[in-house]
Amino acid sequence: MIDVKSVLEEIKAAPYEEIEIKAPHTGVVTFEVKETGVRAVAPSGAYLEKPGTLLASITRERNVKPLHAMVSGEVATIHLEHSGAFVEAGTPLLVLRHYLTKDEVVAAILRRVLHLFCAPERAKYYFIPSVDIKVKAGGCRAVTVKPGMELFIVSRMKREKPLAYDGPEGIIYAVYFQHDDNVEAGQALIGVCPENQTGLIQDVVNRVHSDWEERN
Amino acid sequence: MISKKHKVLVANRGEIAMRIVQACRRLGLDFACVYTREDHASGHAALARELGGESRLFRVSSYHDANEILSVADHAKATAIHPGYGFFAEDFRFARRVTERAHPLVFIGPSWRIIRSLGDKINTKRLARSLSIPTVPGSDRPVYDELEAEEIAETLFAFQAEQGVENSVVLVKASAGGGGMGIEEIHDIDQFKTVYRRVRNYAKRQFHDEGVLIEQRIFDFNHLEVQIVADRTGSGIMHFGTRNCSVQSTGRQKRIEVAPGFRPEEIHYAFDAKKVMDDIVSFSLAMAREVGYDNVGTWEWIVSPMGQPFLMEVNTRIQVENGVSAAISRIKGAGGVDIIAEQIRLALGDSLGYDQNDITFAGVGIEYRIIAEDPANRFTPWVGRIDRFTAPGREWLKFHSHIPQDAAYLIPTEYDPNLALAIVWGRDLAEAKARGISFLDDMVLAGEDQTGASLKSNVAFLRDKTAALLHF
Repeated sequence: MIDVKSVLEEIKAAPYEEIEIKAPHTGVVTFEVKETGVRAVAPSGAYLEKPGTLLASITRERNVKPLHAMVSGEVATIHLEHSGAFVEAGTPLLVLRHYLTKDEVVAAILRRVLHLFCAPERAKYYFIPSVDIKVKAGGCRAVTVKPGMELFIVSRMKREKPLAYDGPEGIIYAVYFQHDDNVEAGQALIGVCPENQTGLIQDVVNRVHSDWEERN
Repeated sequence: MISKKHKVLVANRGEIAMRIVQACRRLGLDFACVYTREDHASGHAALARELGGESRLFRVSSYHDANEILSVADHAKATAIHPGYGFFAEDFRFARRVTERAHPLVFIGPSWRIIRSLGDKINTKRLARSLSIPTVPGSDRPVYDELEAEEIAETLFAFQAEQGVENSVVLVKASAGGGGMGIEEIHDIDQFKTVYRRVRNYAKRQFHDEGVLIEQRIFDFNHLEVQIVADRTGSGIMHFGTRNCSVQSTGRQKRIEVAPGFRPEEIHYAFDAKKVMDDIVSFSLAMAREVGYDNVGTWEWIVSPMGQPFLMEVNTRIQVENGVSAAISRIKGAGGVDIIAEQIRLALGDSLGYDQNDITFAGVGIEYRIIAEDPANRFTPWVGRIDRFTAPGREWLKFHSHIPQDAAYLIPTEYDPNLALAIVWGRDLAEAKARGISFLDDMVLAGEDQTGASLKSNVAFLRDKTAALLHF
């Protein structure tokens, strides 16, 4: 059984995540943020229609791609040496220190509580159509999984094969993969909450909501 | 002579990128390469570093992002782009953009108008028919009318019977489908209505389009190709002979190519094989002249058991298997022909400098595509780590691979697990086959996957298929 209090103390010791922002593709970089310590805000609005703080832009073939902050935080590092220069895809541009929100802390603790069903191999993963419809309509927690149940389509090199769930019966509490993204072998795909764990999970949620102070 | 001031951006990966770099070097041209995160250990990146240093190598997010490729070309001060095969090779919009942008570059391939014209299969068939060139029978557009579809199916059964095909099969395909989805076979016209309606309804449910294609299932045919090479003067259109690409996977992907396409000197055919090869060459040249073809290209044919050829399509690009044609070709008696170098030279405006009488052929070439896959399991790709991969050094062998021979290599799951191309030459088919088997026996290929299971490859399949090469 996990000790929620001690895990929470552990997270409080380093209550942030450092997010490295890299050039998504080649091009010439212009920094909009010029110094460290600047506060960046995440997208906002009822539909997240207001973009986050403009951190930099990257131009290739006269197309300017703005790089907005996707999460709130403060700029910890800026690679100003690339300012006005042509950079390759993947070049580190900035580091954003993002202070964890209550929901993120809950998610981090739940990763230690839930049963994680991991990717057996590096590939793209999709829910089978019948599960996908349920997830889209009612969220992942609308799906109960059982051992041996066909749950995923594994796609690799244009070939597809089914993958059955293996683990305790329960509801899918969290989904850790993105549509069309490759998942490394061993990386968690879903977190499943067995029925006997629901009390513990509620305890995690309550404790975080009462003990965690958001800084963003 | 071409200007040595040209610099070629190689917009591709793996062995074709390596062969383009080597061709540039051969022509005395500068080059630049791109690679993705997944390809950091690929031989093409290592070769670019080795021959040109870090300044010749650019990491991109994708080989299929035109903006990115062009921005790298500008930054690298490239004057030309070689698309290789796949990716942008047959994208006429990309070719047009390359040549018509504010800072135009040379597109190493045919003009965009030719790519557009011959890239359209229906247009290609119409052009062929206008020149009385036979084409593969079947619907060349989606069919929505049941009676029309049945009529086409009847024609195809009749055609196969005429060609001596024992077990005639017609395919009914959802026109909007892909990847093998929505395809059924019929062996008898009596089955047609039921299958047609099932496929049509499936297509409507899955793709919201009930269009259906009726095609001939190609079983007992040989797949031949004609290699065309043309300059931009409009007068120099030559051929570099024929290839036979009939050894394929279950997914109809080529695994062994042999040049020339038939070998009547050593094998008895039920038809005049030399005439068939002559016919498809002259048909291909006629079409190339008609459209004013201006670079390398391949005319793909099927040949029936009765020796009747039918045009399938035209590939307006360099093909994987260009090297097997080069292996048997001689220009003014000299070997060492490099069709990729010819392609670059001609795209940069050089004239051919020889005519058809200067091109001769000697011996037989066999190209093996060595792939990490499981032929026993419908050629499923194998993914894992290659620990050892070495080919024996032989004067009759050309070996192209992007797999490092001095370090372990993890096959990226983003791309097909092609490991190498091996091109074997022999004075005749018997010698080429013996050398092919000797190469496959001496090659060392080992690795394992995440579970520790041994590498799976198609080497045994290639060995098995060698015995009957060019037999029909």
